[in-house]
Amino acid sequence: MFRFRLDGSSGVPPYLQLVHQVRQSLLLGYLQEGDRLPTVKDVSADLAINPNTVVKAYRQLEHEGLAGGRPGQGTFITATSSTALPEEQQILRASLEEWLRAAEEAGLDDEAVTALIAVARQDMKKEKVKP
Amino acid sequence: MTQNDTGVTPPALRTDGLGRRYGRVWGLRDCTLDVPAGVIVGLVGPNGAGKTTLLEMIIGLLQPTEGQLSVFGETSRAPMAARLAEVGYVAQDHPLYRDFSVADMFHLGRAMNPSWDQQLALARIDALDIPLKRKVKALSGGQRAQVSLTMALAKRAPLLVLDEPVSSLDPVARLEFMREVMAAAAGTGLTVIIASHVVSELERFCDWLIVLTGGQVQLAGPADDLIDAHRLLTVPRATTDAELPGLPVHRTDSDRHSTVLVRTDPGRSAAQQHPGWQADPVGFEQLVMAYLQRPPKSAAKKDNAQAAARPGPSTKAVTR
Amino acid sequence: MIWVSWRQHRGQAISCLAVLAALAVYAILLGTSMRTAFGNDALTACLAHSQGTACPAAVQAFTNRFGSEVNIAFWSVTLIVPGLIGVLVGGSLIARELEYGTWRLAWSQTVPRARWLAVKLALVTGGLIVLGAAMTAVITWYRAPMDRLTGHLQHNIFDFEGLVLTAYILCAFGFAVLAGLLLRRSIPAMVAAFIPWLAIRLVIEFVFRDHFLTPLTGALHCVTACGEGIGFVPQATGRIGDLVLSINGNVVTYQPADRFWTFQFIEAGIFVALTAAALGATIWLLHRRAA
Repeated sequence: MFRFRLDGSSGVPPYLQLVHQVRQSLLLGYLQEGDRLPTVKDVSADLAINPNTVVKAYRQLEHEGLAGGRPGQGTFITATSSTALPEEQQILRASLEEWLRAAEEAGLDDEAVTALIAVARQDMKKEKVKP
Repeated sequence: MTQNDTGVTPPALRTDGLGRRYGRVWGLRDCTLDVPAGVIVGLVGPNGAGKTTLLEMIIGLLQPTEGQLSVFGETSRAPMAARLAEVGYVAQDHPLYRDFSVADMFHLGRAMNPSWDQQLALARIDALDIPLKRKVKALSGGQRAQVSLTMALAKRAPLLVLDEPVSSLDPVARLEFMREVMAAAAGTGLTVIIASHVVSELERFCDWLIVLTGGQVQLAGPADDLIDAHRLLTVPRATTDAELPGLPVHRTDSDRHSTVLVRTDPGRSAAQQHPGWQADPVGFEQLVMAYLQRPPKSAAKKDNAQAAARPGPSTKAVTR
Repeated sequence: MIWVSWRQHRGQAISCLAVLAALAVYAILLGTSMRTAFGNDALTACLAHSQGTACPAAVQAFTNRFGSEVNIAFWSVTLIVPGLIGVLVGGSLIARELEYGTWRLAWSQTVPRARWLAVKLALVTGGLIVLGAAMTAVITWYRAPMDRLTGHLQHNIFDFEGLVLTAYILCAFGFAVLAGLLLRRSIPAMVAAFIPWLAIRLVIEFVFRDHFLTPLTGALHCVTACGEGIGFVPQATGRIGDLVLSINGNVVTYQPADRFWTFQFIEAGIFVALTAAALGATIWLLHRRAA
């Protein structure tokens, strides 16, 4: 049975965390097409979160084509790992893998990569605010 | 769940200009709310803001001084027994009779509530490993809280009211307690109102918000709609309130820029008109904190906030 | 709701039963020895044809032997115990709910608080009436031999036979319940109820009781030396049981023995009326606070 987690301090809305976890698990192969997701009641009791949040997450998953409800039986995964990402993100993912290979060859380790991304993001934000 | 003749569930709570005066002081004033059935409401405010006053009027422990109130259609003029039957209540500190055993407490529940579900009460206590014969004074704080919750749930009322239910519990007992509340809500379409002055944990529990300070409602409505209706704008320091695309709720000024939480006017898009500005969505906790910090006297602005927050046709039916 | 009231007052009920049992044991012990002594001294026959004047020594011996016990033991009983019982039971009835916050539990169940209070008061009042009647019966039984010598209009004796003992308990109870609602704390309520109860009790007994009805006057009847009584046996009117109020020369002012039940109804009536007023005020106040 798939178990969700909740990070109360991450700043990401709970329902999005649930959606991300399903998407991540699909990509990594921990969830496969046809797997049944836990019931709304089980998730809300397990995580101590509002059942409406779980309903919202499952609806979002349906909307993205990742999962679907079968009346009386539950919610099931309908996508495979390759169809899990929207197309634009698949393109971005491919160019990201290229960049990461280049960074590794340039001698950057994981921490340096993360720091580089953070600095670049900050600079972009400052650009936007300049009067 | 209660339904009127047409089969439609009435709103869990509707108030109109509700107020309560203690001598010369108004504990609550101008409270107008429309809470649909099936949501879990976070009632937030500092101590003394009027949370307990509002809750006691909802439950039927207190009568309003002015205004109207109805809980699932039962108004404050309805017979007491009908009103009391609509709400299950867990008071702060989870009061129980210390010399009673758990079984005695359930006997009391059965004797005083026609709708009492003894099977449910026994099943819950059994699942929590609390012995029926044990006296309340011999239970731990967490166990007492669970017994209080069981008393309220076994009453089978459509509305559950919890007044600061976990403030006296250790972290594990807290989690256990809220687990039970969420599981109960998931199973039955229960409407829950949780009063709290701790904001950080609310987002995971609540999909409806009421922010109360100084006896006035500062913000009320479905959490998602409220978040969508606000923007966190990063603007140049010199920007005046009049230039903002909506009502400023909270402003933080730095040397060169200001961060303003704005309640956007419908029909005016926020940052698009000003290329130098940045608009971000506001987080749940940020939103609540901003409204908590507003001075309570902003009555006129509050009317705008509430009027727009009242759920219209966009309220979705909740199925669990 | 009846079960709930019973369960909440179960401890008090047991304590009251224990008090009653202790009283009964004491009464049986004393009562049997009194009856034996009465028989041994042939006082029955003596009283039958002479109102005690034919056997003054025996009467004196009897009253000396048992009189002091009656006085000391029961002065405290008549004055304090009914009041104590009443305030101990009544003081915490509402106040404890308010003190411990359990009113939030009790009054949010599906029973309106007016009905909650009415059932509780009915049950507890009924219990106190039974207790009072039982205590009165026990004391009246054990006192029977002595009463034949002294009658029961005398101050100490009047207080625990007939109806008044129960009425004293009820009045203290009523005051304490009201005080509990007003003061919201059990112990202060008990004290605040006991003091006015005691004051009223003393005033009625020592200021008003002797004159509930206009006293009669009659000729002084002396057997031995005039002005001397024989123990508790009043000879001034020639009849056992009369309550002598004053003697002026040859004229005796007294209340006749047969007014016992009339006086009992009057005094009990006063205390029951006070009880009803206190409990009525409590119910009205509680109802008004909910509204």
